[in-house]
Amino acid sequence: MKTAKATVLVAMAGLFATPLAAAELGAVDEPIKLAVNEWTGQHITTLIAGHMLKEAGYKVEYITAGYQNMWPAMAEGDLDAAVEVWESNVPQGYYQLRDGGRLEDLGALGLDAREGFVYPAYMEEQCPGLPDWQALAACAANFATVETLPQGRLVDYPGEWGTPGADRMAALNLPFKAIPAGSEGALVAEFKAAQSQKTPLLAVFWQPHWAITAFDLKFTKLPEGTEACYADASAGPNPDVTGDCDFLPTRVFKAAWPGLKEKWPAAHEILTNLQLSVEQQQPLMGAVDVDGRPAEQVVAEWVAANESAWRPIVDAAIR
Amino acid sequence: MFRSLSPAIRAALLTLIVGMVCMLLAPYLGWLQKWPASMTLPATEWIGAAVTWLVELIKPLARWGAWLLSYPMGWAAFILIETPYPLVIAAITALGWHLGGPGMALGVLAGLCFVLFSGYWVQGMTTLSLVMVSVPLALFAGLVTGIVAYRMPALRRPIQVMLDVMQTVPTFAYLTPLLLLLGFGPVVGLIASAIYSAPPMARNVLLGLQRVDPEIRDAALMNGANSWQQLILVELPAASRQMLVGMNQSIMAALSMVIIAAVIGGFDDIGWAVLLTMRKADFGNSLIAGMVIVVFAIMIDRLSSRLAEPRGGHSRKVIWGLLGAGAVMAVLAARWLPAASEIDIFAPLAERTNSALGQFTANHGATLNAIRNNAMIYLLLPLRIGLDHAIVPVMWGFGWTSAMALGYFGAAAALAGWLAWRGQILAALMLLTAAGVVKLGIAHLPWPFVLFAAGALGWVASGWRLALTAVTLLGLILIMGLWEPAMLSVYLSGTAVLICTVLGGAIGLLSAVSPAVWRVVRPVCDLLQTVPLFVFLIPVLMFFQIGEFSALLAICAYAIVPMIRYTHQGLSSTPEELVEAALASGANSWAIMTEVRAPYAAPTILLGLNQTILYAFSMLVIAALIGTTDLGQQVYLALGQGDVGLGVAAGAAMAMLAWVADRLVQAFAEEKRAALGL
Amino acid sequence: MIQDRPAPAGAPAISCRGVWQVFGVNARASLDLALGETGGDTAATARLLRQRGLIPAVQDITFDVAEGEVFVIMGLSGSGKSTLIRTIARLIDGTAGEIRIAGEDILTADARRLLALRRDKLGMVFQHFGLFPHMTVAENVAFPLKMQGMGPEQRRARALEVLELVSLKGREDSFPRQLSGGQQQRVGIARSLAVNPDLWFLDEPFSALDPLIRRQLQDEFLSIQADLGKTSVFITHDISEALKIADRIAIMRDGVLVQIGTPDDIVLNPVNDYVREFTRDVPKGRHAHVETIMTLPASLPRMPDDPGLRANMTIDSALAACMSLYQPVPVWGANGEIAGVVKPSDLASALTPDEL
Ligand SMILES: Nc1ncnc2c1ncn2[C@@H]1O[C@H](COP(=O)(O)OP(=O)(O)OP(=O)(O)O)[C@@H](O)[C@H]1O
Ligand SMILES: [Mg+2]
Repeated sequence: MKTAKATVLVAMAGLFATPLAAAELGAVDEPIKLAVNEWTGQHITTLIAGHMLKEAGYKVEYITAGYQNMWPAMAEGDLDAAVEVWESNVPQGYYQLRDGGRLEDLGALGLDAREGFVYPAYMEEQCPGLPDWQALAACAANFATVETLPQGRLVDYPGEWGTPGADRMAALNLPFKAIPAGSEGALVAEFKAAQSQKTPLLAVFWQPHWAITAFDLKFTKLPEGTEACYADASAGPNPDVTGDCDFLPTRVFKAAWPGLKEKWPAAHEILTNLQLSVEQQQPLMGAVDVDGRPAEQVVAEWVAANESAWRPIVDAAIR
Repeated sequence: MFRSLSPAIRAALLTLIVGMVCMLLAPYLGWLQKWPASMTLPATEWIGAAVTWLVELIKPLARWGAWLLSYPMGWAAFILIETPYPLVIAAITALGWHLGGPGMALGVLAGLCFVLFSGYWVQGMTTLSLVMVSVPLALFAGLVTGIVAYRMPALRRPIQVMLDVMQTVPTFAYLTPLLLLLGFGPVVGLIASAIYSAPPMARNVLLGLQRVDPEIRDAALMNGANSWQQLILVELPAASRQMLVGMNQSIMAALSMVIIAAVIGGFDDIGWAVLLTMRKADFGNSLIAGMVIVVFAIMIDRLSSRLAEPRGGHSRKVIWGLLGAGAVMAVLAARWLPAASEIDIFAPLAERTNSALGQFTANHGATLNAIRNNAMIYLLLPLRIGLDHAIVPVMWGFGWTSAMALGYFGAAAALAGWLAWRGQILAALMLLTAAGVVKLGIAHLPWPFVLFAAGALGWVASGWRLALTAVTLLGLILIMGLWEPAMLSVYLSGTAVLICTVLGGAIGLLSAVSPAVWRVVRPVCDLLQTVPLFVFLIPVLMFFQIGEFSALLAICAYAIVPMIRYTHQGLSSTPEELVEAALASGANSWAIMTEVRAPYAAPTILLGLNQTILYAFSMLVIAALIGTTDLGQQVYLALGQGDVGLGVAAGAAMAMLAWVADRLVQAFAEEKRAALGL
Repeated sequence: MIQDRPAPAGAPAISCRGVWQVFGVNARASLDLALGETGGDTAATARLLRQRGLIPAVQDITFDVAEGEVFVIMGLSGSGKSTLIRTIARLIDGTAGEIRIAGEDILTADARRLLALRRDKLGMVFQHFGLFPHMTVAENVAFPLKMQGMGPEQRRARALEVLELVSLKGREDSFPRQLSGGQQQRVGIARSLAVNPDLWFLDEPFSALDPLIRRQLQDEFLSIQADLGKTSVFITHDISEALKIADRIAIMRDGVLVQIGTPDDIVLNPVNDYVREFTRDVPKGRHAHVETIMTLPASLPRMPDDPGLRANMTIDSALAACMSLYQPVPVWGANGEIAGVVKPSDLASALTPDEL
């Protein structure tokens, strides 16, 4: 009799416990598919996120995916989440799918990304007055090449990321012609070549990126970028146009398949709360890209040494 | 008077007149140089809607197929990656031994060791599993298509057009629709590479079957074979040599697509590795990753070409021995050998390559810059934007004045007059037209002139049909609103073709004259054609920076190869008796080259030119990674924006340009061939 | 087992009635149209078709080939010989007309029947041998047997047997490209004999060969023909070959049958200059027989001399026997009775050139 009662109790406990736990973790038997895109910072963020999910009791599958192409796949649930999405170069398709309710924005990552005009440090000798932007007007000729003469040359983002460099230059009335780089590799190759010959170079670039330290790149100081400047022509040095100021801080965020929340509620919570700062990410990137160590190893060391940075998020989600 | 002129002269004269009228009116009528946006049909939207509709229609079927295909691929990947690498190496080496004996086995072993030491073993095996499914798929599809085209003459033309389209529309252009159709994953890459690599097989199967001696076909029938038996027992075996050529080309094409498939991802393969290193502009490592693909290409090619040959009885014992050794090593591997992913012997080499590249750039920066600047100032800019815009004081030291224009056209007219007086009326007219083109710049050519000139060329080369097709296709590009990027593409590819023709022709000539030169040139050509092109973008960029000149060089690096190969092949394959006859008539070696070898080689060289044109257009997409603003860039824009219509339209426009250029050259080549009686 | 050639009798082995073969688009409709326009006149129809860009390769051809006969087709290059036998074998579909093989309409035979016919009854030797390059000699010869469904061992045994017939024993495992032209042709002949066909088509089988081998193969052909008693259709350019092997000869010109007749007919009574040109250099005395020029008058003249001429003697030997005679002499038939009368001067004038 006693045993029978105990069984009932256990069963009842199970009855209560199971639905509660299930509501939190969800389908633990199925792997959560995290997108691995083309750049190192993203690999690091993804590996950290993956580690956190594993600690919470999930299976995780890393799937390499082209950043430009993966969004329809995520909308269909072939990928479950991407944890480092840059507003500056996310394709148009993302917004369409998000607005249609087929992708979910999981909020900012906390990576304070910065975009702007960068130049190698040695340019400060060749163009006195830098990093102030007004110096550029005077020494545009220093940056000129045959293709841009008599204007200076600005290496812009690849065409499919938009033309922010050309837009800023036009708004600020600077005599520079923007040449689109075809790819990130092309931008990096420009830095390498300029560095080795100490030739002038001005490019649109972003931080965090290993190249900033590797090539000693400096950001030009532009008039402060504010929402107002982009909304109101009268703000900023050029009274006739909007956007005559520094880049707005780029939002780096996390995106997911909308089904994530229902299928793996705790994972949804973990990813929503996932935060990573430039200070945390940048050294790891350096270890991978400059020292040539495998990302998995670098991240494993970091998560072991910095439990406090991520454990609370996991615990909060599965408690 | 007009009627009495030859058709070519009439066409040239009319073209010149149209060109002059356009040039005179252009300053007043802006729409001559720039197709008005209001007249642009929203064709890309329509195409987008149509493609989306189609995709939705066949999606269930395609998804099912993709699901089906993911199995063999999964198995292949599982076997290749999960099996300990000593066993995989032993097994493939044993296969090499079985097919080709000791030499082949050694080659295979060396190749696989390279892959292992490169540190890309896992990625390499993933790629191999993709190729192992996509190549048979492509070969089978090609075989069936070839047979259908052969057996049903009514379908032959449509099938050939389809093959042209499959080979000329850049893969990037249909990646997005494929992605929508098949869902995310390696199957997209698999299908894309199969689409690209099936046509060579289909073409060669058709050619091989057509070349089977008709008497053999009749003999099979008379001996009581039914039509299947005739095909399988007689025609296909008799065509096997040609089919082998097709197989080889299909394999090469499939491997060259591995990189493109990686752009989508879903697969941690060697293409992905190349992309990552490319993104870091890490030439050393991207070269090593690229070489892994080359090693695979060579290995699969050599092994497969052995399939059809009778095998000498290479000892079975060796096979078992190899497998045994592999198994023993595999058992040991667990304890002693490092895991495949930890081996990275070439890392210092990559490092050294990179620093050498940097060193070179640093030391020769001035020279490289001078080369680039001169090429830009004196060749590229004038060609693109015309003399009047290119000649400005900052570059030339003086500006373009109307007096100079007068002098320029006066000189051209005088030269043309002299030519006409010598009876070379056609040459005179073409000279004048060319003078006008250089004055205006290719990117600024009025569209009526381009359309008219293409039509005239088509008409002279072949007749009304070609003229009409050329004008229609170009007209389509115009009304789709892609004229400007299209003309930039024409400028880039056209200039590249020009350079490749001159330079490649000269190198081919030298190689034909001197075997020593050929020994150097040949491996370079092989390398250029098999290493993923992405890899070369890095040094080109380091030397010459982002810009047209780099893009041009990248295109030339790839497109020059067929010109060299075919020129060499044509010049050195002149029948000996012709050469001997010339020698006996007292010709010296120069005379033999110009009087005997060159005319005899002309059709072959023209074929090379035709390939060079196609290659130059196909490279536009890759060159866009350097930074261009032509159709290649439009394809990426579309990819970025998920704009299915723009992608397909830009891809189609590139294919159309390539097609028109190719047909024009072929039509002239045909005439030449007929004249030579070949 | 040497037999006399059977006399032409019974249902013809091949019967062609008004056969046309026109190449070009819409050949059948164009032919019907042209025939209608010209009222059925062959020459005018052909002219009209040519004007319209079609090629009338075979025009309104009618003939019979008797059981066991060797029927030779001659004609200049491009006159339509190959096309004619390809049409008869239905390797191409005739444009018009009727073709019967052993009484059976071949143009309406369905695919299955055609297959059966080819497997069992027909054999063909091709102008350029038509050997399968990827098969050995023995495999080539055994191919038709394989199509009949014979097992591998029996096939090989039979192939070796036939190869011995054409003196190619020992080369059975060579590939065709390893053989000389003459040897290859013999492989072709062996292959066509493997199934022991009733009807044997040979398209210039010996043209590519040197005279010695050619003569040797002609003799082989005759002995096979005599041994196996087949009906043969044989194409050649060579008049002496034709005269040597033919029971009857058909001469074609530009798709038209100009003359059909026995070798003697062709040699002695050419219907026009075209045919005459073929036989121009033929030493007629060696080919024509006495019977072709003898007469059989109602009452026999007085014949003092009897050099003992026989009807099947060649004119040359007859003339040698009555060199010095002037009076008509009797000609004796095979049955021992007088078959006719011939004047020695007629024998001589039969040999003089036609132009005179
Ligand atoms: N498939 C075909 N299509 C068009 N014309 C053809 C075809 N086959 C044969 N001809 C034409 O039919 C005519 C007769 O050709 P055929 O091959 O029968 O000549 P032939 O008498 O066998 O000549 P040869 O002695 O040279 O073999 C030629 O004018 C030839 O060009
Ligand atoms: Mg013939």
